[in-house]
Amino acid sequence: MIRLEHLSKTFGDSVAVSDVHLHVRPGEVFGFIGPNGAGKTTTIKMMAGILLPTKGSVFIDGVDMAEDPVRAKLKIGLIPDRPFLYEKLTAMEFMQFTAGLYNVGKQAFAGKSRELLARFSLLDRADELIEAYSHGMKQRLIMCAALLHAPQLVIVDEPMVGLDPRGIRMVKELFRSLAQNGTTVFMSTHTLRLAEEVCDRIAIIHKGRLIATGTLQDLQQHIQNGGADLEQVFFEITRE
Amino acid sequence: MAMIPQTLHLLKPRWWPLIHGHGDPRHLFRSGIFALMGLGFWTGIYLVSRRILDYFQKSEDIGDILAYKLLSIVLVTCFSLLVFSAILTVLSKLYLSKDLNLVHALPVPVETLFLARWIESTVDSAWMVVVFTLPVLAAYGAVYRPGLFFYADIPLTLVPLCLAASGISALVVLAVVLVLPASRIQSVVVFLGISVFIVLYLAFRMARPERLVDPETFSTVLGYVEQLRTPSPPYLPSTWAFDSLKAALKNRWATSLFHAGLAWSFAVLMLFLNLWAAKSAYFRGYSKTQEAMIRLFRGRGMFLERVLCFLPGPARSFAVKEIKIFLRDQTQWSQVFLVAALIVIYLYNYSVLPLEKSPIQAVYLQNVLSFLNMALAGFVLVAVVARFAFPAVSMEGGSFWIVRSSPITLRSFLWIKFWIYLPPLLVLSETLIVATNVLLRVTPLMMGISVATIFCLTPAVIAVGIGMGAAFPDFESENPAQSVTGFGGMLFMMAASALIGAVILLEAGPVYRLFMAGIRGKQISFWLWSWSAAAFAGGMALCIAAVVISMRFGETRLKQENAHVSKL
Repeated sequence: MIRLEHLSKTFGDSVAVSDVHLHVRPGEVFGFIGPNGAGKTTTIKMMAGILLPTKGSVFIDGVDMAEDPVRAKLKIGLIPDRPFLYEKLTAMEFMQFTAGLYNVGKQAFAGKSRELLARFSLLDRADELIEAYSHGMKQRLIMCAALLHAPQLVIVDEPMVGLDPRGIRMVKELFRSLAQNGTTVFMSTHTLRLAEEVCDRIAIIHKGRLIATGTLQDLQQHIQNGGADLEQVFFEITRE
Repeated sequence: MAMIPQTLHLLKPRWWPLIHGHGDPRHLFRSGIFALMGLGFWTGIYLVSRRILDYFQKSEDIGDILAYKLLSIVLVTCFSLLVFSAILTVLSKLYLSKDLNLVHALPVPVETLFLARWIESTVDSAWMVVVFTLPVLAAYGAVYRPGLFFYADIPLTLVPLCLAASGISALVVLAVVLVLPASRIQSVVVFLGISVFIVLYLAFRMARPERLVDPETFSTVLGYVEQLRTPSPPYLPSTWAFDSLKAALKNRWATSLFHAGLAWSFAVLMLFLNLWAAKSAYFRGYSKTQEAMIRLFRGRGMFLERVLCFLPGPARSFAVKEIKIFLRDQTQWSQVFLVAALIVIYLYNYSVLPLEKSPIQAVYLQNVLSFLNMALAGFVLVAVVARFAFPAVSMEGGSFWIVRSSPITLRSFLWIKFWIYLPPLLVLSETLIVATNVLLRVTPLMMGISVATIFCLTPAVIAVGIGMGAAFPDFESENPAQSVTGFGGMLFMMAASALIGAVILLEAGPVYRLFMAGIRGKQISFWLWSWSAAAFAGGMALCIAAVVISMRFGETRLKQENAHVSKL
């Protein structure tokens, strides 16, 4: 579903992402972890087609993001960590706006939007202006909008920011059910426990380089410690 | 989705809130006041234009020539303003808006995204210029009484003029963002600021507006008329608009339509050129703008900390932060260049005043002008405070929580802001008033009065700016400098202008008497001295009251605003 080939990004003299090579299979929940400033968000931005790579390519379901960005983006639902929302629209209007751009038909929209808003506990406030929403509610609305067109790939940057415990549980269940239905979830997070619980495979990025990829068992083997949890693995692999 | 429906869809977040009636009553009330003020201003422009045109009509020989020359100048100015305004709006909409990450992630071709943003920029940058050009054209209609075609021709010429201006600006911005080092997007603003200043200044000087009213500079009347008849440059879009409107005023439909056609063909060409350029350059430029910015100044020392060592700890920290941010925020620099341009033109105007040709006694005129100059310098000060001091609180933006959680009261926070802006603005306003008075060669008495009055007015106007800016902050704005265009900004302008007017009015009576007594060599009576002292004391008291009341008002409102935000 995702193929990153020699992906690099430099900002002036500093290298944000260096020669990243990655392959994520359909239906996989893939965790992307790394310390602050490791290059996670830059990689996600390039995958989502918001930032041009300095070198390398991004393929989404075989579609080259540089060659056909529109077709590639149609396959993606992006959930950024600090989402921008049009504050003067209501939640329903924002969903309508998104539906229009992702070619979701009127009939499909009517059912799907209500279903998603209800699932994320926003239905009873769907006609309120977004400016009145809390951060967690905005985060949930962004998730609704990202899932509206039933994307083949969901890219999430820090999914737990601003969510209450109920929201966190909801997100975990959501990722599992999406994967069961064949949707790929690519998730960048600092919440190692979440990654450990829901991800099929995990990649660790450090100083722009991908230094380890695999299941938790693969990573444990990498540090030659079969009983280590993800936190121990992470600290061991990213140790200076 | 085809390009046009998709473009319209992308514009929906802009107009949906309007038609779905989400406007809150406070907003409607403010809009109502704005509309009323706008209507007053509109009517004023119409009446002044009408009066000027009626005056021109009295001169049978050159009345029409003067009227057409004026129309040509109005359209050139209108076009310059449209280009200037569009450069800033296009830059902001295409590269700096907060929602760009969202829209670039959408499955929409880049040229469609560009088109939607460009349409938005064109409307945003042009509507005000167009609205306030209309009363001038309406005055032409009222004086020349052309047929209905003239009124139909107005949108037919103004719309392509706006599209052309916005198209040229977008091409410039697309190119500059690619050419300049990618990490210096804010330097682009500085670059554009300087360019716009140079273009505006050259355009102003090349137009030589003083010639319009001074036939003596020409050897003969014929030369004067010929100069007035000189056509505007044929390659300027404003010239096509002018030619079309002029022909429409004379009811020459075919000629008018031909020139309107020229304007439209250029506008359409600009649209296609922009779409072509956007396809290859827009996303590359946008991607570059996301790269880390490089600072132009790299001060590592503790110079500011040492200079401000007399301030207590928290106050010093805020003051140092404020100055550093101001110097590093290159968007502020373009404002500085524009203010510098304003002042140069202001001083230049005083240097070329033909006082000796005036039928009124020169010394009288010089000193009357000097007195009026206090008010004008005051208004320049209001403009400068509006750009820099008024948005000072809003500039804190999302970081305002740091102020609220720091061990410093809101009162101290506002006073720090006040003291930071006072020294440079006091130097600026005093330089302005002394320089113009020297150019006017005024008496020492007038020089003293002007210097003292501005010395009192400057802190008062700054306090009104800081206070109103604190009372009506905009922490969410993409560009806090634009907060002055809101309701609080309007109140600030009104309050500061009223204060200047009140102080000048208080002083007008005694200054006139003192001055006339000086000219006539009369003894100044005790009564006149007392009146003068009372007037100046009254002026000073007004200024002190303005400082105290504004700062307190700002503090109280900011506390309430903060309470409101916390509830959300």
